[in-house]
Amino acid sequence: MGCNPKALIEAARSDGRRKLLEHESLCLCEYYGIPVAKYGLAQSSAEAVEVAKKIGFPIVMKIVSPDILHKSDVGGVALGVRTFEEVQEKYTSIIRSVMLRAPGARVHGVLVQEMLPKGLEVIVGATRDPYFGPVVMLGIGGVFVEVIKDVSFRVAPLTPVDAEEMIKDLRGHRLFKGFRGEGPRDEAAVVDVILRVSELITELDEVAEVDLNPVVVFEERHGAKVADARFVLR
Amino acid sequence: MAEHLHRLFYPRAVAIVGASRDPSKIGHVVLKNILSWGYPGRVYPVNPNADEILGLRAYPRVSSIPGQVDVVIVAVPAQRVLDVVEDAGSSGAEYLVVLSSGFKEVGRADLERALVERAREYGMRVLGPNIFGYVYTPARLNASFGPSNVLPGGVAFISQSGALGIALIGYSIVEGVGVSGIVSMGNKADIDDADVLEFFREDPNTKVVIAYVEGVADGRRFLETASSVSLRKPLVVIKAGRTEAGAKAAASHTGSLSSGPLLWEGVLKQAGALQARDIETAFDYVKLFSAYSVPPGPNILVITNGGGAGVQAADTLAENGVYLGEPPADYVSYLREFLPEFASTRNPVDITGGAPDEFYYLALRKALEHPEIHAVLVLYCQTMTTNPLRTAEAVVRAVEEVGSGKPVVAGFVGSEEVQRAINHLLGRGVPAYPTPERAAQALAALYRYAALRRVVERRVEYLQAARGEKARLGCAESVVRRSSRGLP
Repeated sequence: MGCNPKALIEAARSDGRRKLLEHESLCLCEYYGIPVAKYGLAQSSAEAVEVAKKIGFPIVMKIVSPDILHKSDVGGVALGVRTFEEVQEKYTSIIRSVMLRAPGARVHGVLVQEMLPKGLEVIVGATRDPYFGPVVMLGIGGVFVEVIKDVSFRVAPLTPVDAEEMIKDLRGHRLFKGFRGEGPRDEAAVVDVILRVSELITELDEVAEVDLNPVVVFEERHGAKVADARFVLR
Repeated sequence: MAEHLHRLFYPRAVAIVGASRDPSKIGHVVLKNILSWGYPGRVYPVNPNADEILGLRAYPRVSSIPGQVDVVIVAVPAQRVLDVVEDAGSSGAEYLVVLSSGFKEVGRADLERALVERAREYGMRVLGPNIFGYVYTPARLNASFGPSNVLPGGVAFISQSGALGIALIGYSIVEGVGVSGIVSMGNKADIDDADVLEFFREDPNTKVVIAYVEGVADGRRFLETASSVSLRKPLVVIKAGRTEAGAKAAASHTGSLSSGPLLWEGVLKQAGALQARDIETAFDYVKLFSAYSVPPGPNILVITNGGGAGVQAADTLAENGVYLGEPPADYVSYLREFLPEFASTRNPVDITGGAPDEFYYLALRKALEHPEIHAVLVLYCQTMTTNPLRTAEAVVRAVEEVGSGKPVVAGFVGSEEVQRAINHLLGRGVPAYPTPERAAQALAALYRYAALRRVVERRVEYLQAARGEKARLGCAESVVRRSSRGLP
């Protein structure tokens, strides 16, 4: 929780960055009470092990660098890590691979993150429209999001009524009701994330865009968690 | 806001600058429309080169007119408009209706700014420029160069597009849709959609508002005003064009997906407005809303003489989230008394292809009397043994005799005779359409509007409560963040 939005944004600015780093983004989410997958930033393999101990297995590991856009292309990602030996090993191999394939890239460390169980993947985002100001988006996530464009928008600030209606707007609304023997999804948790994003974009003038993708939605009363968050500053 | 543009719609006197004796000039057509519509206020043609136009004394300037002029209609070339502003301003006019084009739409944003700024200095508000004028039938005012035979009624119509707006007036006449007001918005240099919406929201002569919108300058004000309209009366919006969504540079999902149409869909839902994809649908809706605005209950009965028409209607209703239940048992046994054995008494009720108009009368009458039936969709397919007009008359008879006020919507399919039957129904206040799908879609819109309005009501209640809560806590800090989950 220990993060201050203003300080975080200032730090990024003085660094010449318009995008927040992974751990900064997750921290900003937490500040607004948005549930995120457990995480920690490691700057050595020993630190990576310490973080993994707190989180528990399985975990994912990702390089944290403002200069690398596609992390997996430079060997900067490890999924499904299950032992402490593997954590040390992956830490070293990620750093080595990045130095080799993206020389000169600034590296802040490696994000060690809880690997979330499977669930319904949605996107919650926010942006600033030139005519309507801050607006919030909800969409069905997954690899086809750009093609299917199953999304719903509302102008911020939103009320719980708006957030509920956004879920109903989606063509994939029935995915929330549970399918293939799985129980219904925690819609209340999604409403909660939407409202907090609305609050965030309304309050933080410096933020141009929010993209929580994916937000993994679990079964009823089991909540939802952000796996990946991106913030773009104005 | 001068009481929501009251004097614009109820002027005591209007002046037409650029009034002309030449029938091909806009200044002539507007003056003629004003006169032929029987506007009861004073009318002053302004033209320095004429003494008399269409039997009225002409004045060289607005400021030379004796007495107060509320509205000055401007039909002179763009480069002369600023002179008119000075002239009208010094005379104490309240509104300038600038028909002239040649402003922002041709890159002269500077001229448009100057127009508004100078008008403001005199305390005048500007409608336009680049418009075909406006109509307000309760004041018997047709200050437009559109059609002169507008039908009076309860539909207010706001159009950003000029040519399409004029064409739609023509369409409304053909379709038998009566209007309260028509406002051409044009460049919206000063008065915008929200201002006009506020007037029609308060206007007791307007039952439903239809707006053709390309874009708005102040999105938030539009949302707020449109919401306040929806709480009072249905607002149907045809949204054309696309807004340039921001975040072009950003490559995130949210940025790339916030393309105009998707955002507008959300905005219109949030405002409780019914979005119509096309002009036909919009007019189908307003025909219905001219007659009814609220469904008295959820139970719709479909009466048809053709199974296919019934299925099409049931499908369309279901696609719009409206589902048919079984008819009440006592209603079924009533039908059984006179219907042939092979008739279906489920919902849709199929009174059979050979059904005489008497069957329609009996079935509809009883349905309207039944407390558990709230709305009726009457479908008719023209057959060799039945008469469309007599069927329409039977429907009207049942509606008028019972006088329940329950929505009755007709879908009549067939030849020219059916068209005459439809016209008869429309003339007697029964919304009627040439296909079962369009009739069903219109009826579904009644339910959709009710649902949208409930959402807006709940939203407004919530916002009021939240505002009260914030004020009570006496802090500007986020209410959401302090609780671990959910709103307090």
